[in-house]
Amino acid sequence: MKDMPPLPRRSLIYALVGLWAFAGGASLSADDELRFNRDVRPLLSEYCLACHGFDATKREAGLRLDVREGAIEELDSGEVAIRPGKPEESELIKRILSHDEGSVMPPPETGKKLTQAQKETLLRWVREGAKYEPHWAFAKPQPQTPPADPRFAGDFGNPIDAFIHQKLEQRGLKPSSRAAAETLIRRVHLDLVGLPPTPAEVREFCDDYASRGLTAYRERVDKLLQSPHYGEKWGRWWLDQARYADSHGYSIDAPRSIWPYRDWVIQALNRNMPFDQFTVEQLAGDLLPKPTSSQIVATGFHRNTQINQEGGVDPEQFRIESVFDRVATTGTVFLGLTIGCAQCHNHKFDPITQKEYYQLFAFFNNQDEPEHTLFPDGIDAASLKKEREQTLRLLDDAIRPYESKLEEWEMGLAKEEQEKLPKPVKDALKVDSRKRSALQRATLFAAGISKNAQSEKTESSIAELQNKVREIDRELSKGVNTLVLREKPEGRKSTVFIQGDFTRPDEPVQPGVPGVLHAMSVEGKEKYDRLDLAKWIVSPDNPLTARVIVNRVWQVYFGKGIVETENDFGLQSAVPTHPELLDWLAVQFMKDGWSLKDLHRQIVCSDTYTRSSLVRDDLLDVDRDNYLLARQQRLRLDAELVRDVGLAASGLLSPKLGGAPVFPPIPDGVMTQGQVKREWKVSQGEDRYRRGVYTFIYRATPPPSLNVFDAPEGNSSCTRRNRSNTPLQALTLLNDAAFVEFAGALSKIIERDGLEVAFQRCTSRKPTEPELAVLSQLDPFSAARVLLNLDETLTRE
Amino acid sequence: MNNDLRSILDQQLQQQTRRHFFERCGIGVGAVALQQLLAQSGLGAFSETNPLAPKQPHFPPKAKRVIFLFMAGGPSQLDMLDYKPALNKLNGQPIPQSYVEGKRFAFMDSSHRINLLGTRRTFAQYGETGSWVSDLLPHTAKIVDDLTFIRTCKTDLFNHAPAKLFMNAGTGQFGRPSMGAWLTYGLGSECNDLPGFVVLQSGPRGPRGGAILWGSGMLPSTYQGVPLRNKGEPILNLTTPEQVTEEKQIEVIRAVRQLNSMRLEQTGDDEISTRINAYEMAYRMQSSAPDLMDTSDETQETLDLYGIKDPKESTFARNCLLARRLAERGVRFIQLYHTNWDHHGGPTENLEKHLPEISKEIDQPCAGLVKDLQRRGLLEDTIVIWGGEFGRTPMGEVRESTGRNHHIDAFTMWFAGGGFKPGVSYGETDEFGFGPIDQSVHVRDIHATVLHLLGLNHERLSVRSQGLDFRLTGVLPARVVREVLV
Repeated sequence: MKDMPPLPRRSLIYALVGLWAFAGGASLSADDELRFNRDVRPLLSEYCLACHGFDATKREAGLRLDVREGAIEELDSGEVAIRPGKPEESELIKRILSHDEGSVMPPPETGKKLTQAQKETLLRWVREGAKYEPHWAFAKPQPQTPPADPRFAGDFGNPIDAFIHQKLEQRGLKPSSRAAAETLIRRVHLDLVGLPPTPAEVREFCDDYASRGLTAYRERVDKLLQSPHYGEKWGRWWLDQARYADSHGYSIDAPRSIWPYRDWVIQALNRNMPFDQFTVEQLAGDLLPKPTSSQIVATGFHRNTQINQEGGVDPEQFRIESVFDRVATTGTVFLGLTIGCAQCHNHKFDPITQKEYYQLFAFFNNQDEPEHTLFPDGIDAASLKKEREQTLRLLDDAIRPYESKLEEWEMGLAKEEQEKLPKPVKDALKVDSRKRSALQRATLFAAGISKNAQSEKTESSIAELQNKVREIDRELSKGVNTLVLREKPEGRKSTVFIQGDFTRPDEPVQPGVPGVLHAMSVEGKEKYDRLDLAKWIVSPDNPLTARVIVNRVWQVYFGKGIVETENDFGLQSAVPTHPELLDWLAVQFMKDGWSLKDLHRQIVCSDTYTRSSLVRDDLLDVDRDNYLLARQQRLRLDAELVRDVGLAASGLLSPKLGGAPVFPPIPDGVMTQGQVKREWKVSQGEDRYRRGVYTFIYRATPPPSLNVFDAPEGNSSCTRRNRSNTPLQALTLLNDAAFVEFAGALSKIIERDGLEVAFQRCTSRKPTEPELAVLSQLDPFSAARVLLNLDETLTRE
Repeated sequence: MNNDLRSILDQQLQQQTRRHFFERCGIGVGAVALQQLLAQSGLGAFSETNPLAPKQPHFPPKAKRVIFLFMAGGPSQLDMLDYKPALNKLNGQPIPQSYVEGKRFAFMDSSHRINLLGTRRTFAQYGETGSWVSDLLPHTAKIVDDLTFIRTCKTDLFNHAPAKLFMNAGTGQFGRPSMGAWLTYGLGSECNDLPGFVVLQSGPRGPRGGAILWGSGMLPSTYQGVPLRNKGEPILNLTTPEQVTEEKQIEVIRAVRQLNSMRLEQTGDDEISTRINAYEMAYRMQSSAPDLMDTSDETQETLDLYGIKDPKESTFARNCLLARRLAERGVRFIQLYHTNWDHHGGPTENLEKHLPEISKEIDQPCAGLVKDLQRRGLLEDTIVIWGGEFGRTPMGEVRESTGRNHHIDAFTMWFAGGGFKPGVSYGETDEFGFGPIDQSVHVRDIHATVLHLLGLNHERLSVRSQGLDFRLTGVLPARVVREVLV
């Protein structure tokens, strides 16, 4: 607070009286406990802490409100912000109630204003003693006992429902009934494998469900979790967070090969790799004892940073940019914290100092950024390389006797003769004769000497050796490169950078973790490395990671998380709508060995998940945006799934898994939007019809049909996709050549199997009479186009 | 539960709901001015869900739209607009060490040098204001009294792609909205048959950085810039597929609408009405965008004003004309990229040959645009911005021919219309044009000033993401440069 003359006492009393009258203060009863974390902290954080918080350098009037000691201490001005129990003597209360522009808090220039009810909350809090609690997310999730009331148990007997139902009951709300069988099966197919069920699958399930009820549903869920397409659907969820794309970004945006990392993610999810291991391998696979090739590929996670290849750059500057990105991404993805904010200054809201930021930075400042080559099964690269060396030595020995003859031949070559020689020979001749490799000399030998060689035996043995080397090279060329991290043997020194500017190094730092979180300690180790960091992240003592991950899975199923700020669990975070449920899920997740598939099963096999998504009038006023989950939510499909559903409905989909990214048709002229025009050679055969997750992503010129549906370009970590709804999406579905092609294929299905089947392939349900009436007025191609454009086709209901 | 606690919970719920609504729908500023759109669209209740519906600014605006003429690559202010006779006097001498001490430049390890390079151009003073302009810009010279020059623009980053991002998004970091996205988010669009933010390109190649320069960052893609193309379809997928007649297309759109309406009735989900709206607008765009691109209704006199020789040819001049047509139609933010201004002195990018060529490509069209807007009464509420991502050094580079390196300490941009004070030259550079001797104007200040003219307080135009309020001008201080405003 700025130094201001104290407010006249009279006006404060009027203000207080007015406020009590407004809030009906007399009716407050003792058992309605005000909870600091739920009711007060969000207000302090939003309105006060930017100037009266953790960051001492930006603290106004010496007042700090993020801890109680600071709030109740006498200020330099002689005032006290909070006198517990005595609002009328508390400067904070005076200031928030003030009508004077110069003294009111928050100051008008911030554009922020407390509502009457918020003022009342703060007033009541101070009156009741101004109790603080530690921030919920920085304390370990506690085991929770689900509400035992049998009314809340639900059909699945799933504790999730007990938590949800209890809250609904408290608000006097009834949950919606279960969705229809065909809605259910489409929902769970799209959510688990990202593809709609076929009409046959729908029929089969509906019959099974009619006779065996939820057992049929549970079995279907188990089957889907075993499908290899599960990894494709949920792999994309992870690739968003990993900021994956197939090019270097910035201005040149050259293609890169890092798809083996993408396949690693898909396979790891399909094998249900425990999330703690999944984390360790990606952050520090190279530091594991005797790392496997797969563990090295996993470190591609932090190679998804961009590389600036434009002329005139300082490579160190952009290396450091990548390290900044790695710190920020690690914070966002695994901790749900905006650590990146402390790059230039102490964090404004969360207790993270700039120095602590650079301690985290130090973990990521010690790597080389090489490529790792992967070979298909059956190719043993190490022994092939050895064999190659041996063969070259033999070749060398075999040619040595002909050195002088070779020289003679070379000297005697006329210029025009030389011109006529094949290219490999000419190339070999261009190399200084002392520097020629055995292979080059063998080439020259074949061209110049072998015709009149003395011994046919020698000649054939040289040719044989030469062929062998070529053969080995052919095998070795089948390797695929992928970008990985490799720890440097000698550490780079890390320092704080003043204002985040790498040309202004300050105090040296060692790798370390923020003091507000659990401690890092590894016995017998003085200097920590990335592996220690990775293990620290998945430590059971970590209050954040399990919560952050279960929340981010939850939001896929319901459109938003239990904590709506899915990328910020710090002091500015949204209050969890169901804090006990969040903790229960997090604890259960760790108890289940960090099994993502178990988590998915836990969520989708619940009453809450399987409810109808129809909007209810009675909820509009009380819970319009469905925070309490009385119903399910209609959600527009992610960009890749819009494509996948079109492909599946029209019968064109290639189910092929993994491999190099593909180039489905895109409109002309897209690739000219970046500095360098990149080639987009449309894939042939089934690669034309692969799932969206396999489409090649150039960061500077992202594929438009994915881009308009909010697919991220991999420029920064994306923890929740926007769901925009725009005219360009309409134009894409109506006119894009790919969708026209889908419509062509679907129209054949209409001709063959009828409109009803086509409608089912898109929506998994039968059309109503009026719907059929509209469609049957159209020719098959138009009807197919209509079906692919329906809101319902693009939506998980 | 007691009423009081319930009201507290309600309050909180509302707060969260609102927060989510802001994020999702971007109705973050002021009230929604529905009436206008309702009247235009005749769509009644559906319009409520249009995220591009016009919104009230924070205070009465001077300007309604922006045309940003982006000279991609970094034009050489010292050969065009910032006259420094000392450079010619000391040509070839090293710049005093005090200027460059501790500074970093692009190409430090190769062609960067410290010897001053005099300009080869002839400068003269023009207009009542006596502004210095070189012989490269004879048409611009004629309108100097209508322009506002800021000669001490400053940016933070000296490589192209990061600096372009900086000029557009106020940061070199990825994932933030560009200025056009901020404006359509903050103000909506006044045009219901074209996108609110349009990008046009000309020159030998696309701008470095590509789509991220007009990206919407954490805002929904509704607000991202839509490239309008001069060749082929103006907007990707705008054209009805070849095998489909217009009648069939209308049939399809009508049937989609009918079926979507039925589903809306069954589910009650607002998103379906938004989608119905989107199809309406898509359909309108199918005819309005080709209308926009068809310049056959322009007079020869107008074409001449812009220096357009062949109106079908895709040039910067044609894009300037299109910019005026877009402005007339109420598009909020129109950005023209023209490449390539990166005159280092290489064989294809030098000051002798290539700078004059590219200057000629833009000089008359820029002046023509300002004049055309003026005579049509559009300049009053349209801001025209001219400039690149940075300027160029007073020192020459050592390459095959003459060139200058990237320079971020002081460079010239000009502004016109929309509340900028005409005939003003603001900020003065030192004798070599290296740094400001007064009033440095940072990119953040430019952003704050432009937002201000559009009625937006740069500290209040924000979006909540990761628990933080992000702004175009970021967290460091930014000021409205009131000295250059009417």
